[in-house]
Amino acid sequence: MFFLKYMLSELRRRRGRTILTALGLAVGVGLVVMVNALSTGLDNAQATVLRPLTGVGTDMSVSRPLKVTSNGSGGFGSLSKAEQKQLRKEIGGGPGVNFASLGAGSKIDSDTLRPSGDLTFPSSELSKLSKISGVASVAGSLTLTDTHISGTVPKIKITQSQTGGGFRGGGGGFGPASGALNGGSIASSSRTVTGVDQTKPSLAAVTPSQIIKGSYFTSTGHADQAILSTGYAQSKRLSVGSTISLDGKTFHVIGISSTPLGGTASDIYVELATLQKLAKYEGQIDTAEVEAAGASDVAAVSTAVTKQFKNSQVTTAADLASRVSGSLTDAKNLSSKLGMALEIIALIAAVLIASLLTLASVAKRVREIGTLKAVGWSRLQVVRQICGEALGQGLLGAVVGIVVGVAGIAVINALGWTLKATVPAATTSASSAGPGFGLGQAASAITSGSTAVKITAVASIGLIATAVCLAILGGLLSGALGGLRAARLRPGVALRTVE
Amino acid sequence: MMNSSTEPARSDGLAAEPLSSVYELSDVTKVYGSGNTLVRALDSIDLTVARGDFLAIVGASGSGKTTLLQLLGALDRPTTGQVTLLGRDLTTLGDRDLTRLRRDTIGFVFQQFNLIPTLTAAANVEIAMATRTDSAHQRAERVSELLSSVGLADRAHHLPSQLSGGEQQRVAIARALANRPAVLLADEPTGNLDTQTGSEIIELLNQLVESANQTIVLITHEPAVAAAAQRTISLKDGHIITDTHD
Repeated sequence: MFFLKYMLSELRRRRGRTILTALGLAVGVGLVVMVNALSTGLDNAQATVLRPLTGVGTDMSVSRPLKVTSNGSGGFGSLSKAEQKQLRKEIGGGPGVNFASLGAGSKIDSDTLRPSGDLTFPSSELSKLSKISGVASVAGSLTLTDTHISGTVPKIKITQSQTGGGFRGGGGGFGPASGALNGGSIASSSRTVTGVDQTKPSLAAVTPSQIIKGSYFTSTGHADQAILSTGYAQSKRLSVGSTISLDGKTFHVIGISSTPLGGTASDIYVELATLQKLAKYEGQIDTAEVEAAGASDVAAVSTAVTKQFKNSQVTTAADLASRVSGSLTDAKNLSSKLGMALEIIALIAAVLIASLLTLASVAKRVREIGTLKAVGWSRLQVVRQICGEALGQGLLGAVVGIVVGVAGIAVINALGWTLKATVPAATTSASSAGPGFGLGQAASAITSGSTAVKITAVASIGLIATAVCLAILGGLLSGALGGLRAARLRPGVALRTVE
Repeated sequence: MMNSSTEPARSDGLAAEPLSSVYELSDVTKVYGSGNTLVRALDSIDLTVARGDFLAIVGASGSGKTTLLQLLGALDRPTTGQVTLLGRDLTTLGDRDLTRLRRDTIGFVFQQFNLIPTLTAAANVEIAMATRTDSAHQRAERVSELLSSVGLADRAHHLPSQLSGGEQQRVAIARALANRPAVLLADEPTGNLDTQTGSEIIELLNQLVESANQTIVLITHEPAVAAAAQRTISLKDGHIITDTHD
């Protein structure tokens, strides 16, 4: 094949031009490979951070926070009469200890389980939610704050300045961290307890993947099983095999769960039905975890839920992701904004360089091209020749570009960049439940802090194939420009006498 | 040195034998530009080139030599008048037909040799046959035969840069003869060569005429080259002022 022989001779013997053109394309291709691989690496890093945060299968959480706006409107007053009544009933019981009946020296050991900010709703809402188009699965959970009071009633000296005596139960809040009373030995502490639907582990408030020690709820005998968060287990020196007491019921600790950054965590997880029964909240939940049929359905489902379920708040995985900040997020934003621009500029520059070099080459080879035409080469054959050479340069550029890109990736990975993902300590809507209810701190606090993620740039076969195509396309484009210029040359240019 | 048995086997289907003339030019005018910049490069030229003619075109710079050669080589069209090659009117042919006509009936030899610098001598000869349907083996045989006929059998695999000027022009002549053309058009073929080498090239061309009845039209500035031709025409301001044939 003469054309091939001619093309290879041209590429081989005009080494400088070939290398320069190929390098131009290679830099463009290499940059595309590198930026894309880095972008994939950042995506992966972000996914690593967000995966536990968003749960395995949960796409959104539905809750009913009691919202109080900054100007004081909303809140309790915005609720219906029935809801107001329910809320009064829920929180009106004080700490649940009849102090009046206690004499000095009496022992107290009491647990009071109360909703922690979000309003509860009947679990029958779940079946309504599951009927919304695009919903794949739903699961309910109930998070309660357990106010634990223990100690011995102290002897109290009544001074003249004080009126009345003893303790009065009933109304008014009871701060969860009020500490010992009057130098006595009564202590109160609070802990959060979440009841999870263990039949849907992927949607549950604690998922099997979060278990770092022990095991997840077993299919039988789960009624008295408990999973503790690492922090709680450490502070109480509890581990797998320990037992805890909750409102008089003993639970066996079967697992310790890690708390994902940015995720919500409770101190104790037990079976939903058991908690509902224990706290006398049968049939009530405060959160519905929803899995959408597909990622594209999330927005529509979110809108539909908000519309159908009055006063509800939908928190999607994207909302959770937006809590994450730090250098990882900055890098991700930079790569998505600047990366694309860099790739486009690099490719345009590469194609421009290749095109200019090919055009310059055609200009230098005017006599040669004229000669080809004079000896009977058609325009098509001349264009094919020029394009073939450019294509060869493109292929070479692709190969060098991949080497440059892969080398760049190796350098990036060797540098071992670690980026920080930070979740600031945020207040949830629950904490804004407002004064007067004595609801205390939010039950499911977002785990704040930072985590370092190593960036690993990843080149895929698809990416490399794209890069090869881009280089070939760049080569062909430059070849087409050069070829068209060559096609327009008249064969007469081959004759250059002193006329 | 030349292969005397090469009677052209025409591939263009033209009946070359019955025609005694290769070229017929009648009232050919070529004008460049317009208005004040109008240049009449050729003005009402009539010319006949017979088969086996060795014709030298001489004239000062700007006399119209190259324009005439371009018209003869089907590289350009006249503004008015008619140019026929082997009975075909070049003014009526399209680009594709002209390209094929050039390939099959005309061989070009250039002052600068116009060899492709990246290709060997053999590949430079083969380039003229690359667009034909001959097999690679047939082409290789023909290349070998042509390089032998110009005395360069042992230089087949050399690049132009490894050949002397005379050798490069011999390769160019071999390339021009590749498709057994009806006419060889040479543009100052000795212009870039020393006198001795130039004489050898002219000798080679003479052999072609004598042994193969090859028609040759060449442009030259050099009286010695013109003297070697059988016939000389002189151009001045686009007119033929002398023709030794008449």
